Amino acid sequence: MNVIEIKNLTFSYPGAAQPTLKNVSLEIEKGDFIAVVGNNGCGKSTLCKVMNGLIPHFISGEFEGTVTAGGLNTLQADIGTLARKVGYVYQDFENQIVRPTVLDDASYACMNYAMEDYRERGESALQQCGLQGRENDYIWQLSGGQTHLLALAGAVSLSPDVLILDEPIAQLDPGHADRIYETLRELNEVWGKTIIVIEHHTEYIADYCRHVLLLKDGSVQWMLPVGEALERVEELRACNIFPPQVTMAAYQMKEEGILSLSGRLPVTVEEGRTAFRDLQYRRQSGTEKKDERQKTRETAASCREVTVSYRSVKGEPRRIFDKFNLELYRGEKIALIGSNGAGKSTLMKMLTGLIKPSEGRVYLEGEDIAGKKPEHLSGTVSLVYQNPEDMFIKDSIEADIAYAMKVRGVQDWKERTAALLERFRLTDLKDRDGRLLSGGQMRRASLAIGIALNPGILLLDEPTANLDIATRREIMDTLREIRRTTETVMIATHDMQLVCEWADRIVVLYQGRVLADGSRDEIFGNREVVETVGIRPPEIFTMGRALDADACCYTVDEFVREFGGV
Amino acid sequence: MSEMMRKLSDNILDKISMDFLRNQVLKNAYGNDDTVIAALDPRILLAWYVFFALVPWFLNDLPFLIGCFLLVAVTTLMARVAGLVLFLFVVGVFSQTGYLFAASLLFGGDTGTIAPLLVLTLKIATVSLASITVFSGLDPDRLSNGLMWFGCPERLSFSISYAYRMLPMLMEEFQNVLLSYRLRGNAPDASGFRGKIKYLIYQIQIIIQSFYPLMLNTAKRSRTTVEALEIKGYRYAAVNKTVKKMKLRSLKVTYNDMLFAALSVLWLSVTVLISSLI
Repeated sequence: MNVIEIKNLTFSYPGAAQPTLKNVSLEIEKGDFIAVVGNNGCGKSTLCKVMNGLIPHFISGEFEGTVTAGGLNTLQADIGTLARKVGYVYQDFENQIVRPTVLDDASYACMNYAMEDYRERGESALQQCGLQGRENDYIWQLSGGQTHLLALAGAVSLSPDVLILDEPIAQLDPGHADRIYETLRELNEVWGKTIIVIEHHTEYIADYCRHVLLLKDGSVQWMLPVGEALERVEELRACNIFPPQVTMAAYQMKEEGILSLSGRLPVTVEEGRTAFRDLQYRRQSGTEKKDERQKTRETAASCREVTVSYRSVKGEPRRIFDKFNLELYRGEKIALIGSNGAGKSTLMKMLTGLIKPSEGRVYLEGEDIAGKKPEHLSGTVSLVYQNPEDMFIKDSIEADIAYAMKVRGVQDWKERTAALLERFRLTDLKDRDGRLLSGGQMRRASLAIGIALNPGILLLDEPTANLDIATRREIMDTLREIRRTTETVMIATHDMQLVCEWADRIVVLYQGRVLADGSRDEIFGNREVVETVGIRPPEIFTMGRALDADACCYTVDEFVREFGGV
Repeated sequence: MSEMMRKLSDNILDKISMDFLRNQVLKNAYGNDDTVIAALDPRILLAWYVFFALVPWFLNDLPFLIGCFLLVAVTTLMARVAGLVLFLFVVGVFSQTGYLFAASLLFGGDTGTIAPLLVLTLKIATVSLASITVFSGLDPDRLSNGLMWFGCPERLSFSISYAYRMLPMLMEEFQNVLLSYRLRGNAPDASGFRGKIKYLIYQIQIIIQSFYPLMLNTAKRSRTTVEALEIKGYRYAAVNKTVKKMKLRSLKVTYNDMLFAALSVLWLSVTVLISSLI
């Protein structure tokens, strides 16, 4: 039985020259788990909004063709009826939560549709989404992952047949991401829901989905079972989608004639075990040398015996750091990792002088910053927030980049602004408001603002969060460039690929203390640390380890080199 | 004087930092949901409030006014109102009457004006404390349900509880924008008396400027919210009588509510009795 049927659908937004969806025909079976993939702006979100009737009931435009959801023609049924057939979770899910407490929000839709048992429906939705026990919590007490589960519960409460999720894990750390997908799997297998996700993370697609739908320029290219779909490496790459690292490695080896595969390419680590089983691991690069110069290096920043606590809304202040020590040396490129709430942002704010420790001392370039105002430190240290929108305080990005230099009377601020715009490829966009840019452009602009004053120490909070994979690669290039020009850089991140490719020192924070500190081999090779903190190494590293317990390869190229033996 | 100015200019952003303010606001909104006052039925509390907001203005009987004041003082304590709110209350009440006293002295009055001014102060204090008890002690969500029961439009009560949900997010965002101004701006030198004044003005300026990016961010965010409300049937519910009934069904007058009302009445009768005995 088909739960969604689309016939010859063409849709254009008002005023658009080109239709966003072109002659789309599609059938989705009940109980399927589908990933929708495609380039930015290929119409993925539009397609999903067509399925739940927001288009054309709420968002108007030129609409041709027929869409049937759960047996109802979306043109004839109203949004309320359709919401009980198709649930939708937005990418910016926190904005779809409108009530102050958890149970209240989960049951809100049911109450609005005058269902007498709205509380029970809310409760059972929370249970299905693994949020039991949090019913009376306030929204702000939830973590990012839990907030997402709540948004999902809000959709589940109406017991729809179909659930659509727009990039469910873009903002989450790996632990939470796994939990979301486990929940989705359960909803799919136990409760028989049809799940449609817009997803860029092909590793998750390989692990959880059954079919993949590729959209290109508003039309459906194909819909195939996961294995066949992810094998089409070139086609996916052309649409800026990166197949799982295991698949990439197999593809590359097959191309180079190292691996002769009869069947299809492996898409998961499990399949990789069989496909790569004949390969021998040979260490090429030798063990990573520990940097001997460390002892003689100059300190760029240091925290000595620092204690920081936050006022809490109820009860005692919460202690983030207790006698915390950390030294950052000049010229280091550091990745700061650890789960949410481990103190990463606090550490960064403290180094910029925004948070004053209650005990202990913080030194920047040898000077105690205790009596200094953050304004006076911004030439030395600069912080780029996780949310770039909070950095746009002027009405154009040019003015934003220029602001700090202008008010400080930097002589050639005009030339330097122009140079920065050019360097970050923003010259054409310089008059636009930062908020209205795309995710990647926004990120680039925030980085340009961050280094405007040419600080010796640059702190970046989650620079690749919330980006699709193609944009993420682009930002990685920018970060590699910053690596060359800025002396000391520290990045707080959950993105282990970034960590492996970019950092030369990794600091692991766990419950307000440094649990481990060292090179990537020392961190990822330490099983205890990886398990305590819940680090999820890049897939290719796990693949290597599955084949040989001593293997340490962090990129597809390294894997091909060290296992291919050429 | 310069010592005071130093404190004042430090206070706005440093000592009473945004973090402190945020914490106080959050404490006030979410930190006292387990008090006796918060658990009362909002309808009873609103009726109680109407009495204490109006009656003191029309009476001049001193024992009765003192009685009213003591009662609302006790309820304010029971509501566990955040320190900042109480501080603002004290400053507000005393600056008001203090200024009147100064004015009366200036225009030829004498200490005889103190007594009537004290009565006025008592009235203002009673009314203010009653407001603080109800609007700060009661969870805004329950408050909005109570208002809806008294016939306020659904849109108002939704706005109140939506603001209640968004408040922490907005405060955090405001704090971040403000930090952006601080980090990238160039604060004037704060030494000397004039420097302090300049620094103070600078701080107020950036606080005002920070509202502009905050509003734009909020506008951007609201696109999703509007669509989500549509899916969640908000418009449908606004015109449906059954939904309103379902919402109000959660309101229940309990033993505690009766006790609260009874004690208030009893206490007031005692004060009336005392006043008639004197």
